[in-house]
Amino acid sequence: MASLKEGWRIQLRVIGALMIRELTTRFGRENIGFLWIMVEPLLFAGLVGIVWRFMKGPDEHGINVVAFVASGYIPLTMFRHSVGRAVGVFTANSSLMYHRQIKILDFIFVRVLIEVIGASMAYLFIGAVLVYFDFFPVPSDVGYLIYGWLTYALFTFSLCLILAPLSETSDVLEKFIPVTTYIMIPFSGTFNMVSWLSPKVRDIMLYSPPVNAMEMMRYGIFGDKVMPYYDAIYPNAVSLVCMLIGLILCRRIRRRLVVE
Amino acid sequence: MIKCRNIYKSYPMGHGRKEVLRDVNLDIARGERLGFLGRNGAGKTTLIKLIGGVELPTAGRVSRQMSVSWPLGFGGGFQGSLTGYDNARFIARIYGRSYSELREFVEDFTELGRQLQMPVKTYSSGMKARLAFALSLAIEFDCYLIDEIILVGDQNFQRKCHYELFEKRGDRALVLASHSPEVIREYCDRALVLDRGNGTVYSNIEQALEVYSAL
Repeated sequence: MASLKEGWRIQLRVIGALMIRELTTRFGRENIGFLWIMVEPLLFAGLVGIVWRFMKGPDEHGINVVAFVASGYIPLTMFRHSVGRAVGVFTANSSLMYHRQIKILDFIFVRVLIEVIGASMAYLFIGAVLVYFDFFPVPSDVGYLIYGWLTYALFTFSLCLILAPLSETSDVLEKFIPVTTYIMIPFSGTFNMVSWLSPKVRDIMLYSPPVNAMEMMRYGIFGDKVMPYYDAIYPNAVSLVCMLIGLILCRRIRRRLVVE
Repeated sequence: MIKCRNIYKSYPMGHGRKEVLRDVNLDIARGERLGFLGRNGAGKTTLIKLIGGVELPTAGRVSRQMSVSWPLGFGGGFQGSLTGYDNARFIARIYGRSYSELREFVEDFTELGRQLQMPVKTYSSGMKARLAFALSLAIEFDCYLIDEIILVGDQNFQRKCHYELFEKRGDRALVLASHSPEVIREYCDRALVLDRGNGTVYSNIEQALEVYSAL
């Protein structure tokens, strides 16, 4: 029992150190430093929101277009960045394998955690600004929003846990990952509510864990203005299965890892 | 005590595999000084990496009942884009040591001065060796794994290493890979000779050196 507690303590220490290291190597100490992490989701959500505003008018299905785009784009950028960062993470961090207390799981966890924190900050910031200018409703049910967000984040992490070791085993796979994440966009729930679709497509869409999470987030924000379709347990169950597969793959790849 | 039992290590090469270590068995007791001898590519560095847990054996088991340093070589274990100070800060954090004490020791031992504010990738191999040595001495391990590195430094560095490692920390265990008979003769109690994947331990250093020079 004591050694388990000690192990946790060491892992927390390592994760803290890795976070700081990752933030300094990625953003440096100049100007706004790690706040850069929120700039990209902000720009994306803001600019795409404005473009859509002019293309489609102020409302879509009774919801403010800017708010709709922002609420979809921020989770999507979190997902795509996390996946992008998970590819080749072991090679990029191989010098860390010199220290036995650092586990390869820590690399993936830290990278995803940074993306999640950055995207959360961006969400909070853009939400506050848009609420002030009346482009964004005050969330009608924060509980749904947070639960949906955590569900989305857990799915992202579990997928990275699989992709990171796989990207290390084959270069071909590594090349396919950017295309795949792009093709996944329609299945992420970013650009539409499930209720806007035909019943047949609806059933297919709900197999996708991020769609369920996105529906919950949107319900948390827009309340009864939208009609959400979701299963609260299903996406997390998928994530747990993915995590289990990911853990096995990580363990196998660690044995084969060649460190310079 | 470090126990290596039936260690095999092979790497993929072309369509087959290259076997680097074949059924190597080895014990390192507290305070023991073991030299690794072998030609280039005989597997000295690989075995040190396995003992340090940097890579894992293809088959077999390494168990450690004392704290073991990371392998001290030419810069392994550093992040090249970070400065010397940032690397020191990172090491202090992951090993749970106070940074201010560690920094003081590193400044004093490495004598690198303002260079410590530069990214490690701009260092010469001698400078990297100084930093690696300083950090691992500051952490205090029961066993140090040293790969050739002791020879890269200048006179002053070698004198310092000698003092810190062999006089002040004379009770620590040591694994030292080297091609130099003088170094092995001076510092080691026993020696392992690696040849075509097989490892043989000799309690008599002169005998080990004889076998090595005949390879």
